[in-house]
Amino acid sequence: MVLEGKKRVWEDYQKEIADDHYFYVRSCIRQTFFPGSETTFLRIMRNDLGKDVFEDARHTTCTGIGYHTDIVPLDTTMTVIARHFALMTEAGYTKIIPSCVTSFGLYTEVLETWKQFPETEAKIREYLWKATKREFTIPENLVHTSDIIYKFRNQIKEKSKVSLINKKTGLPLQVVEHIGCHYAKMFPTSGVGGAEFPSVLSGMIESWGGSVIDYPERRHCCGFGFRQYLVMANRGYSVSNSKKKFESMQPYQPDFIVANCPGCSMFLDRWQYTIAELEGITYDKNGMGIPVLTYEEMAGLVMGYSPWELGLQMHQVSVEPLLDKLGIEYKKEEKYLGAHGQNLGEPQKPQFLIV
Amino acid sequence: MTKTPQHIIIIGGGPAGLEAASCLGEVGYKVTLLEKEEQTGGKLRLWYKLFPGFRPSGEVREYLANGHKMNQPEIVTKAEVIRVDPETDHHQVVLADGQTLKADAVLIATGFQVFNAEKKEEYGYKIYDNVITSVDLEAQFKSGNPVKTVAGATPQRIAFIHCVGSRDKKVGNIYCSRVCCITGVKQAIEMKEHLPKAEIFNFYMDMRMFGQNFEELYIEAQQKWGITFIRGRVSEIAENMDGSLQLKAEDTLSGRPMKMNFDLVVLLVGMVPATGTEALGKSAGLAFSSGNFLASNDTHFNQNETHTPGIFVTGTCREPLSVAETLTDARAATVRIISWLREKEMKSNN
Amino acid sequence: MGKLYDRLNQDIRFIEGLNGCMNCGVCTAICPAAEFYHYDPRVICDTVQSKDEKLIEALLRSETIWYCGECMSCKTRCPRNNTPGFVIMALRKLSQELGYFTDSEKGRQQFAIKRAIGENILRTGYCVHPDIVSPQMHPEQGPVWDWISRNTPEIMEKMGSNYKQEGIGGLRTIDPEVLEEINQIFEVTGCKTMFDTIEKYSKEKADELGIEISDEGIGNEYFMTVFTDNDGTHNI
Repeated sequence: MVLEGKKRVWEDYQKEIADDHYFYVRSCIRQTFFPGSETTFLRIMRNDLGKDVFEDARHTTCTGIGYHTDIVPLDTTMTVIARHFALMTEAGYTKIIPSCVTSFGLYTEVLETWKQFPETEAKIREYLWKATKREFTIPENLVHTSDIIYKFRNQIKEKSKVSLINKKTGLPLQVVEHIGCHYAKMFPTSGVGGAEFPSVLSGMIESWGGSVIDYPERRHCCGFGFRQYLVMANRGYSVSNSKKKFESMQPYQPDFIVANCPGCSMFLDRWQYTIAELEGITYDKNGMGIPVLTYEEMAGLVMGYSPWELGLQMHQVSVEPLLDKLGIEYKKEEKYLGAHGQNLGEPQKPQFLIV
Repeated sequence: MTKTPQHIIIIGGGPAGLEAASCLGEVGYKVTLLEKEEQTGGKLRLWYKLFPGFRPSGEVREYLANGHKMNQPEIVTKAEVIRVDPETDHHQVVLADGQTLKADAVLIATGFQVFNAEKKEEYGYKIYDNVITSVDLEAQFKSGNPVKTVAGATPQRIAFIHCVGSRDKKVGNIYCSRVCCITGVKQAIEMKEHLPKAEIFNFYMDMRMFGQNFEELYIEAQQKWGITFIRGRVSEIAENMDGSLQLKAEDTLSGRPMKMNFDLVVLLVGMVPATGTEALGKSAGLAFSSGNFLASNDTHFNQNETHTPGIFVTGTCREPLSVAETLTDARAATVRIISWLREKEMKSNN
Repeated sequence: MGKLYDRLNQDIRFIEGLNGCMNCGVCTAICPAAEFYHYDPRVICDTVQSKDEKLIEALLRSETIWYCGECMSCKTRCPRNNTPGFVIMALRKLSQELGYFTDSEKGRQQFAIKRAIGENILRTGYCVHPDIVSPQMHPEQGPVWDWISRNTPEIMEKMGSNYKQEGIGGLRTIDPEVLEEINQIFEVTGCKTMFDTIEKYSKEKADELGIEISDEGIGNEYFMTVFTDNDGTHNI
């Protein structure tokens, strides 16, 4: 592999990422499965980087999952998104940052559609007015929250307490980075580094001392497939896609996987459990699986935040082997406690996957 | 004929420019050929053997050299033309070094350059070691060295990918580059001659076997050489741990997606207009056709005339052509130029 | 050109998504659904661009159009700048509008999605929320999710969420006034109509099959049937 070639591609796809004063919209999947990640993002942005990130309680789902399961029409989704632009405008902001990658893809798609078909924008303005009496301006900047962490990766590095290095061997950790399909596949210029060699996560990893693995199925979808997961009868599709990726990455012996899409993080974690229980297979050497992190969790670990504050106990595949490699201390007995130290019991152990 | 012969400036010393120079010189015109590189010959210098009969490219270069030896056009190398200012009597040809030359007629023969395969990121050219282009392969064959993977092994399975940079809106080239398919057949055969035990696969959308003996060569590739042709455009190339390449395409004839590993992948790259053509054409007031090649006045009647009187185009600066077609086109341009110059002379005599 | 093609041509995604397919196959080459299902996006685009009314109707009634996972990997690669995924979305919309979706096992699942996700959006302002991810319906979430389900408020508190509280924060209760705005948007933009359409044809199908169906919610036999039925013929 010739790195210079990749770097040339990355240079071609540099997008503008705003500096400060962001209007933040949350992700349904992240709030449900990785709530600690959103908390960590805000903590890093506000406390560590001193940025202004504004959140309006009146924002809702963007309806992306409804749209991509084809129950919510395009006009509806565009109007709900327009409503978020209106909230942003009302609050005096011009830069919007969705936490969800499907949202980001959808917001980008909506803005592109309006650019190409201005009559659509006019129609949505009418709908929004009729339904809510709200008006909006088009955001000056639209990026995904992972783009922002990417932008400030060097500042984060300067404040970091932990490097992505195996403390025992001194070598960089081998990391699989997984980019959500809707981040750059639809509009390659909307992704840092484009669609084929996106650099939003590899930039973070390399800045923080890790080493990125390029494996054959790197660009393959994790298999969410919206309806293919949400309906029980279809889940075979979803797990098969992830399995394909696991089989492809296994020979490279990744220390962990990181994803910028909340759905992908969840699937790459849970499908390892499912495959272990169904087939008795794991993709690491110890029967524990390959730990999966959200990019916020990765940033949080690098900043020295406690694993249980970040929410790593909410993962099915244990992250302790990774924490050990990173040389991060943690207290096992505190893993499943509540905010006030309450005993909340603990999850049952799977039959095959070692936790 | 007036005492001072009319002067024609030819911009570009590839096959088109050289052949036209030779023909025009032969009938007594004063011809100046300006070539921006150190040597004439254009892309012909890069080719090993020409399709369909595997003629060594040197034979054509020799033919062209003899032509201008006999008919003595003035050939100036390292002379880059940056602008043509059309004027009623004499066009001004402006060089990079500041010189200006005058001509009764100007023939643009600036040719093509090869599509930059790096733009097709999903194929990993210059990122994955064992992905090369057809141009790289010609150089490899010319060198006489055995074809090897970057690790030094003999490739067992090789893929030729058709339509790289052509018929592709994603890279901005909607047109077909014409000669890549036959090049793919030729190189597949040459590779098989070189490595008889290798398995060779060509991935195509259509097999454009338009010329004399092209279809016959395609049949020979299948029957005699056992090359497999798969109808499916390649979607993605990724690298395996051992440096071999994983390729994804659909076998559209059986309607199944497929994934195969190869030791070496050859990208059949298309043509784009040579650098500087756009600026040159704009300065001369020329129109552009599909792919930003220089446009002719008319598809059937006037392929070598442009909208600007006295400025002519020939060769691959106006559309993708094979070497044989380029030579024919240059001779056709010659006829048009002669006709036009005679008319011009008659007008000025009256 | 028939009526079905005309209707498709009113969908902006269709206009964007299909402009002269040359059958090169790069979409199918990279499509996850083509790997695992009996599915070929190239063939679908080729069929639709023929404008053949019968073939398009057959597609709208088929299982085929429900296999796509809308990952949009096809959009990245197509050399004609088409997007089979967008064509699928237009086909799915039309299939539902015409009631053809209940002909296929996968199409019938739209009812389940409408009841689970669609109604959740209107009720809570979220697409997905821990309350609707029950361990029974999601065994693949693992024992950790079972633990989370049993301790949701405490765990969310620890994670810094504002679970079911007012104000900003993760999993906050979304204000009824906001939900009213969303309801209005759904009404004005035709989503309520779409929901009603899904209900109407699903009820017809449930009655035809003699399966119990309730007026709302997921606790009914028809929901469980379409949610779990898989006749095993969908993959290659």
